[in-house]
Amino acid sequence: MKCSAILGGLAYLALPIVLPALVTVLAPNSGAIAHAEDRVDSTTTWYQERRKGNLGGLTVVHPQFDIGVDVGDNTTLDLGYSADAVSGATAAVYSTDAVSSATTFKDLRHAANTGITFYGSRSSLSLSGNIGTERDYNSIGVGMSAKIDLPGKNTSLALSYNHGFDQVCDFDNGLATALERRPLTRQQLCKKRQFLRGEDTSGDSIWRDLSLDSSQATITQNISPSVVAQVGLFGQVVRGFQSNPYRRVRVSGVEAQENIPSVRGRAALMARVNKYMPSMKSAIHAMFRGYTDTWGVNSVTLGLGYSQYFGTSLLLRTNARIYQQSEATFFKDAFFYETEGSAGEYFTGDRELGAIRNVVGSMKFSYIKFNEDGGNVLGVFDEVSFNLKGEVYLLDELPADPIEENREGIDRQFLSSGQAVDAFTLQLGMLFRY
Amino acid sequence: MAWQSSSKATIARGGRRKALLAFTLVTGFLLGACGKQAVRASEKEFLADRIMQFDADGQETAADEHILSNREGSSGGRGTGGGGCGCN
Repeated sequence: MKCSAILGGLAYLALPIVLPALVTVLAPNSGAIAHAEDRVDSTTTWYQERRKGNLGGLTVVHPQFDIGVDVGDNTTLDLGYSADAVSGATAAVYSTDAVSSATTFKDLRHAANTGITFYGSRSSLSLSGNIGTERDYNSIGVGMSAKIDLPGKNTSLALSYNHGFDQVCDFDNGLATALERRPLTRQQLCKKRQFLRGEDTSGDSIWRDLSLDSSQATITQNISPSVVAQVGLFGQVVRGFQSNPYRRVRVSGVEAQENIPSVRGRAALMARVNKYMPSMKSAIHAMFRGYTDTWGVNSVTLGLGYSQYFGTSLLLRTNARIYQQSEATFFKDAFFYETEGSAGEYFTGDRELGAIRNVVGSMKFSYIKFNEDGGNVLGVFDEVSFNLKGEVYLLDELPADPIEENREGIDRQFLSSGQAVDAFTLQLGMLFRY
Repeated sequence: MAWQSSSKATIARGGRRKALLAFTLVTGFLLGACGKQAVRASEKEFLADRIMQFDADGQETAADEHILSNREGSSGGRGTGGGGCGCN
């Protein structure tokens, strides 16, 4: 009810943005101009997470490819593809010693997206769609966003809405109770029909629905000739099967499939500001985000960044981000589940639902070359840029239950436990506008 | 429901009220700054610079969100790309 109210409120807030945007975009004499240039954009990210137990780390290679073309003066068409090649170790059972039960796995996910944007003189309206597929997961999403600049073009109002029709493959547990449920394994078929929809196989695997409704409203405001700020409100309702079907949790001696609530409502408030410093050709960036959800996860994020030009083509950006969250009301340290049983009817071994502190530090170098004096870069392009970024993740896993009541501690309940530097990324990107 | 801490819930509610109050104040401040003459068109050189655009690199933003939403319990609410230069 609370989440519906949030989404309803956002939808009500949307009317003053969507309706004028529609009117302006569709008006015959909108004075529209070509708003974008054709572009090709490609980035590959290598994510490496460290693991305990001599099973290697968790490796993800994430290539992205996007192309955008103008279709007439007022319309842009976008097409994109991305993939995740994942391999590494995972804990089969959440317990006080998850490390010794770790196994290895490999997975490959493909995703594609398309969008069309209509531009007016002070507004834009976008429609988008995306699909994603992997062995045990299907997703189809549709979205709409609208943006309008108020007269004077110092204030931009934006609103977006997305709906996801996802499916998760699960072991066919029939009418088994929560503590009797068995996890999915790599041996189950997870059959599909028509590529993106699952097909149940009685006694083997079934597909469970997961729907996601997300909405966001933002206001962007020029405060002065060198300061711009943005505030935003986000709401999301997720309904359906949200457990990791492979994960087991040791509950009072029984190793049962993870069991978590089927409805989750999320809300977040954010604010950020950029300040340009002309004398140094640099800018500082600051952000804040507060988040809460109906599972009891509350979090705060603070970010601080600095961008510095060197000459006309080299740009260095550094960023630090601190994030801390409380645990979900049903998340317990493994020792609790093993000795006390479930938390209400639920039990989970998901690190993301525990109390954690995540600190991220990044540095990015960009080489940017614009066409100057009417000439093209490399004879073809209006702009070429190359980006190289490195990022380090520091993670603290905090105890969910009083330390004195947890004889086993939390040092081995996750594969990542007790490591200061948890992960790093390297990212290489190229952008061509023409 | 004995496993739920009522004091924790009270603290969370208090935190949410403070966050909502701060958001209302910031939003009010920004809307108060709305006006045709806040920054004239001829003064938008710095605002148009790429380092003043929020999420100037769309693929970097998407990859960051992808990673963080798989590491943290929260997701969404990271803002809208672009800036306030109004120079499209």
